Amino acid sequence: MELKPATPNERRQYYREEWDVKNVPDFIRNTLIQREFGFDHIGRGPNDRYRVFRNSDDLRKFMRVRTPFAAYSSVAFYNNPKRRGGWIKAELVFDVDAKDIPIRTCGCDNVCEICLNQAKDIVMGLLDTLQGDLGLKNINVVYSGRGYHIRVLDDAVMAMDSDVRSQIVKYLVGADVPRSEYSSHGMKYNLEHFTIPFGYPQVFTHRVKQTLLNLTPDTEIDDVSKDIKKAVIKNRELLHDDQWGIFRKAIGPVRYGRLVKGIASLNLTLVDAKVSIDLKRILRLPSSLHSGVSMKSTLIKNLETFDPFQDAVPKFVYERDDK
Amino acid sequence: MVSISFLNPLSPEGKDIVRELGSFDGISQDIPELRRLVTRNPSQEIVADEEIPSNYLELALKRIEWYVKKKNDREFNSRRYSFLSDQAITKYDVISFYLLCQSIGVKFGPNSRETRVMVEAQGDLVQERLGKLSLQEGRLMVDQSLQLLLKGDTVHWTFFQELLSTRKIRLTELVLDQGELILNPEDFIDRFGSRIKHRNPSSMYQLLIGDELKELLMVKMVMQETEDYIKQVHEKARIMVEPNPILLELAEEVAEILAEPMQSYGYGPGRGGGGPMKAGPLNSQAFPPCVKKALEGIKSGGRNDAIVLFMTPFVSYARLYPDVFRMNLSKRVSDQDPQLEITQNEILPLIYEAAQRCVPPLFEDQPQEKVNINAKLGFGMHSELKMEHEGETTWYTPMSCEKIKLHLPHLCRPDEVCKKIGNPLSYYNRMLWEVRTLKPADDSGSTTASAENSSEGVEENNGSPGKGGTTPDKPGEA
Repeated sequence: MELKPATPNERRQYYREEWDVKNVPDFIRNTLIQREFGFDHIGRGPNDRYRVFRNSDDLRKFMRVRTPFAAYSSVAFYNNPKRRGGWIKAELVFDVDAKDIPIRTCGCDNVCEICLNQAKDIVMGLLDTLQGDLGLKNINVVYSGRGYHIRVLDDAVMAMDSDVRSQIVKYLVGADVPRSEYSSHGMKYNLEHFTIPFGYPQVFTHRVKQTLLNLTPDTEIDDVSKDIKKAVIKNRELLHDDQWGIFRKAIGPVRYGRLVKGIASLNLTLVDAKVSIDLKRILRLPSSLHSGVSMKSTLIKNLETFDPFQDAVPKFVYERDDK
Repeated sequence: MVSISFLNPLSPEGKDIVRELGSFDGISQDIPELRRLVTRNPSQEIVADEEIPSNYLELALKRIEWYVKKKNDREFNSRRYSFLSDQAITKYDVISFYLLCQSIGVKFGPNSRETRVMVEAQGDLVQERLGKLSLQEGRLMVDQSLQLLLKGDTVHWTFFQELLSTRKIRLTELVLDQGELILNPEDFIDRFGSRIKHRNPSSMYQLLIGDELKELLMVKMVMQETEDYIKQVHEKARIMVEPNPILLELAEEVAEILAEPMQSYGYGPGRGGGGPMKAGPLNSQAFPPCVKKALEGIKSGGRNDAIVLFMTPFVSYARLYPDVFRMNLSKRVSDQDPQLEITQNEILPLIYEAAQRCVPPLFEDQPQEKVNINAKLGFGMHSELKMEHEGETTWYTPMSCEKIKLHLPHLCRPDEVCKKIGNPLSYYNRMLWEVRTLKPADDSGSTTASAENSSEGVEENNGSPGKGGTTPDKPGEA
């Protein structure tokens, strides 16, 4: 399926015939009056900001009349959303854009099934850590049109500042190489991350594995030579059965150290970190149209079975002449 | 048995000690018992009689002095401060701790250098004291202190929000499961035992959590409580009418001790840069790797952030006000460039050049970013740089390395110097300073342009341009 922009007519058709304000997820509709809304009317970025709606019906009317190119709402809750004043708390969000994931095996110019699937794999890994290690609840996953948004509405984290959020991002994506030297009673021991089956070292191992399995000879990683990449590609079968020790030996311990360090910094681009640390960000409104690619931003009920090319395509796309 | 308050003066035991004292009356009176305790300590080295603290205030100052000397004095002799680790002084130590926190809180407030030193000194002191205990006793003390600090058997990681936010601990250092901090061996075996293959779970526990993580948490939490207490004092003091003169006097003396190392030891390159930096023409050789990379042009995503948020503040501060973090004083562009000539002729052209080298050139599809650049220089959202608009926005200070790693990860290609700094501007200052001071040495044929030599150079530099050398580094900059 070709992902082309929606025409103004198609936008109108979408908002008047297909879209329903009831498709806006409850977690937004129930907090409508505390959020700031932003719109992009001509496709040059959301410059119509500081909008507020007293109720769903006002939002419904606005969308039907203005049929915006793109619609956004704040992750923040305010006492006075019209001025972005009286900040109360903000969702903790992670933005995984298929276009920006560190290693794209597809090489497409926009987004395609392959990179969207890769994005989905990343999201699943992040969800595991959010729920498992961090014990967070009330997590929503939204298809954004070109990737996924994870939106955490657990009150345990919503009041946290940017510094804590940046620590969460680093934990989640595996941005620091876990230390390998440990000591007890004056004795030093060496424990590589893959020998520790819990906590952050395990998260790191998962992320590194995912990256290594997708690695291509062209992937640019700091301080990692072509030779190392070749060795990775040659030996990575071992990782399917988690034979890390043998894998590390095959790469060479010094080169392995350089490799994981490079991957750790690459991992920081698994999510767009500035979205996560921004306490006043606006994020694409689920149910609204991503006019750039003619897809619906969609709240996902079951991530395993979700297929954007089935579940997020607006009707007008099927009616296009050149389909 | 050591008292908990010897490690954490803010514990209930510590608070009891203060309550018993009642008031500040007689706080500066001699305490013969304290003198006796100090002198009878077998590992204590005493050079002069006046070195022996003889009351609460002197003991308080000794705590600070110990820390400052330990950090800065190459000839630091820990045996002169042996009494600080002697639990017999607990009662006096606790009082002196409260005196310090209160005086610093009243006089300098929570964001001061004095507070930072006090908090760090307390952390180091706790570690020092723990180190002097037997393994068994130390373990017991850490466990007991933690029990009081953690207030419950199960602790959710979000409890450490403050420690995480102030980066006293890193989230990746904690061992977590279902949101809970795993600290006890029973919990550990219960949660992870079945996953651990080929190793003994108990020894795995010892390595990964054991004494080390517990001690770390305990120390950092005591530090955080100390910081919070100073903040609390500061807030109370603002509504109180008249602070106790004894506290103000003590605060002055603390400040004096802190000023000393910069006069006598100098802040060499090992502490994040040389003497005062005067504004001068940009030297692109001294730019950090991230700036060099941004100057080459940004080829993919993040062009706006790289030019507007990153390059604009960096270039303008490097050219006009490289000292900003050291001075800890915000200024306007026109304070440094009254006619805006340098801004128009040097700074903007360099930024525009970097924007032009982007692919596609930034202003081609996003001409509005010129306005945003003006805004980051403090001139509001206008297309022209005009004095009358200055102040409508603030002059953004350069992003820290931490922020760059998050916002613009592809720019960060750290080299050796990067490891020693936390902000690209510090890198620039440091390199400029090295170029300036090391060059003449090279020219004269000297082969010993080592760190020792250059730190002497700082003192000389500090002498001439006036006060600059005595201004403190910004917290966390080194």
